[in-house]
Amino acid sequence: MSDELIQIETPFAFNEENQREFNALIGRYPVKEAAMLPTLHLAQRQAGYITPAVMKYVAEQLEVSVMKVKDVVTFYPMFFEEPVGEYVIRVCHTLPCALRDCKGVLEHLKAKLDTDIAAETNLAKGTTPDGKFTLMKVECLASCDVAPVIMVNDDLYKNLTPEKIDEIIDNL
Amino acid sequence: MVEERRILYEHLDVPDINTFDVFRQYDGYTRFEKAITEYQPEDIAKMVMDSGLKGRGGAGFSTGLKWSFVPRDIKPCYLCCNADESEPGTFSNRYVLEKNPHLLIEGILICCYAMGIETTYVYIRGEFTLGKKMLDAAIKEAYEKGYLGKDIRGTGLNIDIYTHPGAGAYICGEETGLIESLEGKRGQPRNKPPFPAVEGVFGKPTVVQNVETLCNLPFIVGNGVEWYTQMGPTYADTRANPPTPDPNTGTKLYCISGDVNEPGVYELDLGLTCSELIEVAGGLRGEEVKAVIPGGSSAPILTHYELDTRLDFTSLTLAKSMLGSGGIIVMNETRNIVDCLLNIMKFYAHESCGQCTPCRWGTPWVRDIVQRIADGDGRKSTMTRPKFGVAENGRWGDTGETEEIYEDLDLLESVANNIANVDTMTWNTICVFGIAVSWPAVSYLRKFRPEFEAAIREGKLVTLPVAEATVPPEENYAYQQRFIPKEFADL
Repeated sequence: MSDELIQIETPFAFNEENQREFNALIGRYPVKEAAMLPTLHLAQRQAGYITPAVMKYVAEQLEVSVMKVKDVVTFYPMFFEEPVGEYVIRVCHTLPCALRDCKGVLEHLKAKLDTDIAAETNLAKGTTPDGKFTLMKVECLASCDVAPVIMVNDDLYKNLTPEKIDEIIDNL
Repeated sequence: MVEERRILYEHLDVPDINTFDVFRQYDGYTRFEKAITEYQPEDIAKMVMDSGLKGRGGAGFSTGLKWSFVPRDIKPCYLCCNADESEPGTFSNRYVLEKNPHLLIEGILICCYAMGIETTYVYIRGEFTLGKKMLDAAIKEAYEKGYLGKDIRGTGLNIDIYTHPGAGAYICGEETGLIESLEGKRGQPRNKPPFPAVEGVFGKPTVVQNVETLCNLPFIVGNGVEWYTQMGPTYADTRANPPTPDPNTGTKLYCISGDVNEPGVYELDLGLTCSELIEVAGGLRGEEVKAVIPGGSSAPILTHYELDTRLDFTSLTLAKSMLGSGGIIVMNETRNIVDCLLNIMKFYAHESCGQCTPCRWGTPWVRDIVQRIADGDGRKSTMTRPKFGVAENGRWGDTGETEEIYEDLDLLESVANNIANVDTMTWNTICVFGIAVSWPAVSYLRKFRPEFEAAIREGKLVTLPVAEATVPPEENYAYQQRFIPKEFADL
């Protein structure tokens, strides 16, 4: 990625609160690069998704190359390189949830939100036109005893039924 | 019926146990105080060795032995607590983090004291936002109360704990993958040796322990080795002469999910049987057990013939499966094994880190074969071949009969075995992810072959009755070397 490409994006910088948190983070590790994941989490929380400008900023802060940041961002499924909805709905579809009908949950959500399921390289596919929701499938969320489960942003919802899903979505 | 024995989970449901004051009322931090006042660090390491505690994360490696590999003269040394709980079917760490984070901190403190460690990183999977929040709050409180930080309780100990969030990659639960991820890189596992105990995070000696393992430490120190070793069976390893003790001591947080009436975490002594555990978990939901996955989705499946298998490290290894992280998934007679394997293979194809070629290409290949079979497009040859099995002389060989050739099933087994060979237990990948893929693939196929054959023959998924779907043990060479250990053999 050339510098020119990055220039056309809106530049990114941490706001005051995140800068403070970042300063605390950096002191925890003997090398700055190690703060990569928490820093990217912070940046994503602020920017919504990881733009090239964010990568450039994070690379400068951690004193590594932009390519190294890109390397990490593409590896981890929790970092988005495309815009996502205000609410990201993660539906677990691994075996224990599948045994408790997670397919029904997915179908119900698809119908309710009138959207498809996001592909990892095409998040827009699962995002509602108003930009409110993004529906995606994820692997095990480690809550198999209360399956089927979904995560809406940071919150976990358990033992789902169609009625419960309606209630959750309507309250957002 | 087997009784639950709650030790790690004893105070889990006490209101506000996540706060320092309430935790303190329930003996919180007294075990750590006992450790620093009554014992030298070497004593603690010896106690852990004598207790026979095995790592609860999956490999079941002796914790005391692991500690003994750490060179004492290289500083700094790090502790990485593995809270990247992502094995399908496992969910016990989540409750510890969310409800009783101080117990984990106490365990970490004892480990740090024993090993002379000053810095601990708790690698929490990114999805555990609540768990991270609770642990962060507990750590803050522990700093305020003087149990973390500089010169703890006036002993001159300096211990810091930091939480480090993951970002949704399963492979970061592998210890060297975790270390790479902690260093801010892609979580691609490293070659071993050097083992993390010698060269781990930031090139320094590193102890990597699961949350559950660390939570056992306060109780070993608090109640003594003798109390701890009473729980769970100790077998004799007869491969050595004289036989060496093979302890499976302590309790295990069994996570049971799938087709049972009351799924959840049950803390029980190691060594109960599969059917006993199903009974504890409110019994089966359905008519009949078809299959049980004993240790997270990576573990080879058990059939209804094997429900008497004891769920401990040794017995399951001898049954050619593993206890792993203790995630037990039960399936009843309505489940289709091909469909279940497809689900698991989609998981592994998604989670392969892409570092080693056999795994990067093999996992999607296996997934595609199973997908093809599930879609009804499985391939079958028109030719036949001699059938191998238990021959007339009672030994494995040509039975004199012929069998049909299901090309896709042969291909499935071949591809899986070339990622990692389940018979010789050798893997063509850097980490054990390879074996975690081929174990389920090959064991499901060998043990439930009729269901795979039926899917190919009929051109659609067919769920056979349990008795028909399962290959009897005597006809299956996956069982051939199966050996049931003697209970509590005399030493």
